[in-house]
Amino acid sequence: MTTLIDETRAEQQDNRPNRLAGKWGAGTNRRRTVRSRLSSLGLLLVTLLLVAPILLMVKVSLQSDADATAHPLGLPTHLAWSNYTSAVSAMNYGRSVFNTVVITGCSAVLVLIAGSLCAWPLARLTRAWTKVVYQFFVAGLTIPVFVMITPLYILMRNLHLLNTFTSVILSEAAVSLPFAVLFFTSFLRSVPAELEEAAAIDGAGPLRTYWHVVLPLLRPASATLIITLTLAIWNDLIIPLVMLSSDDKQTITLDVYNTIGAHTYSASQLLPAVVLGTAPLLVVFVILQRHIVAGISAGVGKD
Amino acid sequence: MKLTSRSAVLLMLPATLLYALFVIYPTVQAVQLSLTDAHGLRGGSFIGLANYRALLHDPQVTAALKNTLIYTVVVVVVQNALGLAVAAWLFSAPKVRSIARTGMLLPAMMALVAVSYLWQFIYSPIGGPLNTVLGGLGLHSLEQSWLGNPSTALMAIAGSYMWMYLGYTATIFLSNYLAIPKSVLEAASLDGATGWRRFRYIDWRLLAPSLTVNVTLSTIGSLRVFDLPFIMTNGGPGNSTQTLSFVIYSDGFQNFQFAYATAVAVLLLVITVIASILVTTVLRRREVAA
Repeated sequence: MTTLIDETRAEQQDNRPNRLAGKWGAGTNRRRTVRSRLSSLGLLLVTLLLVAPILLMVKVSLQSDADATAHPLGLPTHLAWSNYTSAVSAMNYGRSVFNTVVITGCSAVLVLIAGSLCAWPLARLTRAWTKVVYQFFVAGLTIPVFVMITPLYILMRNLHLLNTFTSVILSEAAVSLPFAVLFFTSFLRSVPAELEEAAAIDGAGPLRTYWHVVLPLLRPASATLIITLTLAIWNDLIIPLVMLSSDDKQTITLDVYNTIGAHTYSASQLLPAVVLGTAPLLVVFVILQRHIVAGISAGVGKD
Repeated sequence: MKLTSRSAVLLMLPATLLYALFVIYPTVQAVQLSLTDAHGLRGGSFIGLANYRALLHDPQVTAALKNTLIYTVVVVVVQNALGLAVAAWLFSAPKVRSIARTGMLLPAMMALVAVSYLWQFIYSPIGGPLNTVLGGLGLHSLEQSWLGNPSTALMAIAGSYMWMYLGYTATIFLSNYLAIPKSVLEAASLDGATGWRRFRYIDWRLLAPSLTVNVTLSTIGSLRVFDLPFIMTNGGPGNSTQTLSFVIYSDGFQNFQFAYATAVAVLLLVITVIASILVTTVLRRREVAA
């Protein structure tokens, strides 16, 4: 039934490739099926076109330079895995992935805890001053990190935190907080407060209620948030670039940048490093894409 | 659980402190710093608006301002138009929707750094994939040094940015499409609204919330563009791909003109605030009207 409705809707929707068919009256079902098949096929082609640069990157990363010049778009004649072994040794790969996991993980947990602690009263308590705090966080959504990067660097230097994970974790967390607070607040507003009230009747204080009721209640929103944060922090360049200076502390994005840097690298040296930098998140995406799509769509339909 | 004001304040303290100390305080500091002549880490003395007067006559900054604005307008318009078209297409093809969306979102999972190197390779003038494809299609006259030519470099960068985020924009529009009650679209088709007419009078209005989100995100995102010109062109050739964020980084952290770079940062802040107020007011009003 649903498919039937969807199919009919597909008809009305799709005026692009088959405007002529419409003129002949979309009367026959056969014509409809053909149209909808063509539309699906066209969409898959567009998708392929958009994925093509990534496929090309993987392909060329496995070709020797001579092979890539001879067959720029064709399949490799043999797979040059040595491109990858040399990229890994040039990159400090394991260490950088580890650093990135630590930095991303700590920032995400910090944002999750601080953000949800803050969102709970914002969602439940309507006072003039809570509205001010809310607006205070809204303002943060528009401040580009570049506006405050220089003073932030000076601040971290004064706190003797330059070239430490702490400086990156605190900066990434603070920059991500506005989104987290607003996201959790709007999520909590959509859930009734009954469970929290029941906990109060049982004599639980605010922290116990937070830990046993609010945090579990936020679980779906937290999953979405963590993934969105991971994506942003894992891929960020500017904060690690400014804060971290030693090779053994760098994140994977910074590692890719430092490895390739200003050198004129050939494709067989450059692309394996890029693939290695990208691969971990692409794998995560394929596994968790439902949450990623939810995270992307989070802003729609909320206040 | 009735939260008292006292416990509410305590619960909000960690987030507020963290945010105030590492976002608000540096932002306020930025304004202060921009009024001094600080070089490097030594604090300078107060010189009023001299930095701002200087940056108005600085060809690098004026080029960056112009490029940032052009880049933003092009990205916001083209990316949202394409994203909307793709979303309508995804919506109309339920059978392949999920796989198509997955494929289109892949580029958005990459780091901007990775996208920069990938497209630098694709645009490369000698034996680059783009030129090879154009040559294969018989369009030899279009082959060129995409990033080396001042008149194409900025748009080439915009192209790679839009490639990265097209699926992201379309996903937001699509989620709005999927939230429209089926009865509304069915009623519209019974009333004879189909194709372009239905899109214009029904879809376009119902998609107002996602349009607000998308235009806001793409405006804020492209006003702060940094990684792509930083890696792909280093601001060149000439000043053709200088952007405000790039100038902030290179003046601040490569030339150590902290105060001057911060004045550029304040300029970026003012532009971003004006743009987001403008976008929000216009588009929110539209949402209410619809």
